[in-house]
Amino acid sequence: MSVAATMVEGGWLRRLRWRISLRLFLSELLAKRWMEPAIPFALMVGLIVLFSITTPYYATLGNAQQLGREFAEAGFVAVAMALTVISGGIDLSVGSVFALANLAALVFFNIWNWPVGLVIAATLCIGAAVGAVNGFLIGYLRTRPFLTTLVTLIVLRASVDLLGQHFSVPLAMASRVSWTWDVIGVGWIAKLPSNLAILGIVAIVGHFLLSRSRPGWHLTAIGSSRKAARHAGIRVERVLFLTYVLSGMLAAAGGLFYAARLNSSGSDTGVGWEISALTAVVLGGVSLAGGRGTVARALIGAVIVFVLVNGLVRMGFPGALSSTALGAVLLIAVGIDVKWAKNRGKAIQKIYVNPTMVELPPAPSIAADSGTAFAENTRLQASEEIGLDQVQGPEDVILDRQDRLYCGVREGWILRFSGPNFEHREVFARIGGRPLGMAFDRDENLIVCVGGMGLYGVTPAGKVYKCTDQTQRSLFKLNDDSRLRLADDCDIAPDGTVWFSEATIRYEMHSWFLDGIEGRANGRLIAWDPATNKTRTVIKDAVFPNGVCVAHDGRSVLFCSSWLCRIYRHWIEGPKAGQTEVFADNLPGYPDNLNRASDGGYWLAMVGIRSPTFDLLMRHPGVRTRMIKQIPPDEWVYPGINNGCIVKFDESGRALESMWDPGGTKHATVTSMREHKGWLYIGGLENNRIGRVRLPDADPDWNGYDAYWGSARGRS
Amino acid sequence: MKITELNNSLSPRQRGEGARTLAWAMVIGITSLITACDPGTRNAVEPPTGAAAAAVKTPDLSGGDSSAMLRTRVDTALKGKVIAWVPVALGMPLTEIWTQVMRAEAEARGMKLEVRDPNWNTTAGLQAVSSLISERPDVLVVHNPNVQLYARELARAEAAGIVVIQVNMVSNHKTSAYVGANWKTVGRLLGEEIVRACGTGSGTSGKVAIVQGEATSGTSIEQAQGATEVLATDKGIRIVSNQAANWDASKAHDITATVLQQHPDLCATVGFWGVMQAGAAQAVKSAGLQGKVRVYSSGGDGKLDCDNVDSGLFTKFLTYDAPSQAKVIVQFASFMLQTGLPPSSVRAADYSRLQWMEKGKYDPGLCYDPARRGAARS
Repeated sequence: MSVAATMVEGGWLRRLRWRISLRLFLSELLAKRWMEPAIPFALMVGLIVLFSITTPYYATLGNAQQLGREFAEAGFVAVAMALTVISGGIDLSVGSVFALANLAALVFFNIWNWPVGLVIAATLCIGAAVGAVNGFLIGYLRTRPFLTTLVTLIVLRASVDLLGQHFSVPLAMASRVSWTWDVIGVGWIAKLPSNLAILGIVAIVGHFLLSRSRPGWHLTAIGSSRKAARHAGIRVERVLFLTYVLSGMLAAAGGLFYAARLNSSGSDTGVGWEISALTAVVLGGVSLAGGRGTVARALIGAVIVFVLVNGLVRMGFPGALSSTALGAVLLIAVGIDVKWAKNRGKAIQKIYVNPTMVELPPAPSIAADSGTAFAENTRLQASEEIGLDQVQGPEDVILDRQDRLYCGVREGWILRFSGPNFEHREVFARIGGRPLGMAFDRDENLIVCVGGMGLYGVTPAGKVYKCTDQTQRSLFKLNDDSRLRLADDCDIAPDGTVWFSEATIRYEMHSWFLDGIEGRANGRLIAWDPATNKTRTVIKDAVFPNGVCVAHDGRSVLFCSSWLCRIYRHWIEGPKAGQTEVFADNLPGYPDNLNRASDGGYWLAMVGIRSPTFDLLMRHPGVRTRMIKQIPPDEWVYPGINNGCIVKFDESGRALESMWDPGGTKHATVTSMREHKGWLYIGGLENNRIGRVRLPDADPDWNGYDAYWGSARGRS
Repeated sequence: MKITELNNSLSPRQRGEGARTLAWAMVIGITSLITACDPGTRNAVEPPTGAAAAAVKTPDLSGGDSSAMLRTRVDTALKGKVIAWVPVALGMPLTEIWTQVMRAEAEARGMKLEVRDPNWNTTAGLQAVSSLISERPDVLVVHNPNVQLYARELARAEAAGIVVIQVNMVSNHKTSAYVGANWKTVGRLLGEEIVRACGTGSGTSGKVAIVQGEATSGTSIEQAQGATEVLATDKGIRIVSNQAANWDASKAHDITATVLQQHPDLCATVGFWGVMQAGAAQAVKSAGLQGKVRVYSSGGDGKLDCDNVDSGLFTKFLTYDAPSQAKVIVQFASFMLQTGLPPSSVRAADYSRLQWMEKGKYDPGLCYDPARRGAARS
């Protein structure tokens, strides 16, 4: 259901042009993690297609199988390299380990005639042993990975040369035959070349290990920042040690397959493979700076390098030129890696905010002598302070049956004030996130919308529990909207269902005002049923839905749309159930929280007042787009959210009266108010106090809890 | 964090179940892996032997009874045929000579030569060979970097009906033809020369240094065997160094320089390829021992060898005349294409004629200069 559709007037073409945003798509696409390897992936596919077209017999099954078989060993080495690079280091010794493993496997198999199982185990052990040396030096003794593995590279290479010479003649003459050895070397596993099949398994396991398991996260964390990882309690030494051991084993696995496939102990085996592997890894989008990368990316890079070199060889390019081409590719990849890592965030930032057209009619006057219900007055200036300088940004306030006052603050706490003059302050609960709108359920649990976390509850004893933090994901949205990003305000229907708004799914608590510049339908109205613990999105494209209030009769839910300056009524019961209609339109300011009043009406907090300038800007998304692009954020024009007021509506949506604090000396921002026993309590997102003003005409016994759940007397 | 939370939120029972599921998944995975295994074959199709060999269909060679008919027959057999050629690297006289002569000879017969240059990179070489197989040239000429590397691919090529000719560096897998030196003989000839110069009664120290090429290459292995066999027959000869320089002149230079420091009275150094051994000769020259330490080598790099012999870098040089080898290759290819014999039914070799070169004593026709020919061509 769309409530955004009715908001704009004017040419439909212009409207459409600003509604559908390619930039929006692009910015969200760029922000996706899986977009990082998109360029390498495209390159890989492009190269394969290119060679399929230009090279005869390239796109045949036989050729594909052959290529796969030849590729697999390089793939192992690339994965080995990738792990160490992700951990913030490098393993230059992979090529030498590969060569050593190749030689060792050949000697074990051909000369010493070991059983194949033992050959495999022993070869992998050799790789692990070399990795252990690297890992011990790098992890525990904190030597520099580059130099350490460079030394290992040289030492191993020399060893391979010496040993190779010693064994070359018997190896050249050897001809042992073994079924298992043939399976490993030239055989098939499920119609795939065996080495490729095993590489696939290793890749899948490796991918999950790296991206979905604790050790993998530790590894990535260390790569991002060794110091921070240590502070987070990660056992950096051990993880690094194991990383190099694993890297050594993977390189050795590559060497083992190579040995089984070719039976060749040539002296240039594995020479320069560390460079190809490094090229592959960087090309695939694994950052050289560490902390960023996956196994899949390393393999994508490895495929590119392999296909490129193979293709150049096929096209009959002189060998030296192929090496040069590889070098050039590495150079470009490193360049892109640096530029991309540095500028991706900036690029997203540049195009992330995507203004759309919002056309508001001229605002009703708020002039003191205008005679409208919105006429400015000084009634809020008479407010009494509660917790002055003891609270930071009480976005919402609520009172319980014992007349205790609750508010959520910036620290992520729920504070409680009690005593005759609310002089006693205590931290009622520490939820975290940014506690916003609140409501009491029938069992007197405090239900809280927590920005950045979701919907939470606090029992009367102060125990925090999670109600819900996700809803169903929209099918065709790039942005993963299953998680609740900015639950804003909630209220509870008579059946116990918690209706709450999520202001925006594109911005976070710290950048919510950018949503105002955008003016797009990024928010939603969600219902959580505690009985079934089901969460469902009821309205999924609302423009910054903010305050939520269940009507007095419990048959509809009122909710505000801040940037449209409008209040909607969504029917949840009766003949109009499921329908949404406008409750109050063209407000002079941006509506925030909405709560019941004792006389059957509703209190509305307006967080800011519209200005003709910003209204005009809202009509011209192009101007805002240029503004975002061309001038620094501190000079942007934002919606005016620095002074507001409280307005009372009756059940029909007619504004009755308003309360103001001109100049905002006491209540700079007003984001909520709550009527309780003849007083109106006032909260503000940026305020250093809670205020209260007496309501002379109000029912002195009326309180929120009883209004929702009946009086205590009645219940018992 | 998330998995941690998840893990912590799971009851021990749930975790146990998870482990059991994982164990089952692994068991099933491994079982299916093993059942899916298939060893494949190293020799894609076994070359026919015995009765099978007899069953090889004798190709129909009729229709060449008159000159005109013969011309037609030959033309249809050769015109447009492709000879693919994978040396270990281009950019050195030996392979350049082969390439130039083969190209000229092939084109003269209406065939085409396609070259792949792995530039000493065995991985690239292997890729070149396997990709060529899928491109189905009519003849594949390979220069094996070592005895094992291409073995399986050569078998595959023959199975695919491609005539495979190996030049100078042989593989463990034998194919239709080998064209090149008989390396054992080369080694023996070199050895005999050294024995004459440094053996008992020569009045020298009898110390000999051997500079091998790539230790896994058939060429090097067999030369070393031949040479050491002969050297072992003379009690006065002592091999003081026997190292592999991997066909690299600078490595040969370094090895020899070190040997000369330890044994300034070295009688002779012998290398298994001229281009590489030139490095050893330079080391001898730098040590001021030119003329005192004898330098022997085999090779086939045309003008380069002549120059080295003339300048006194090499005492004596055994050449296998690369241009002739190239001609033989094309002739053999032509023969196979004309007869249409199945590649695996033929196992032939043409061992190159070996000629000694000494300063002032050699056939100037051996001094093929690929640089001049190349320039003349273009």
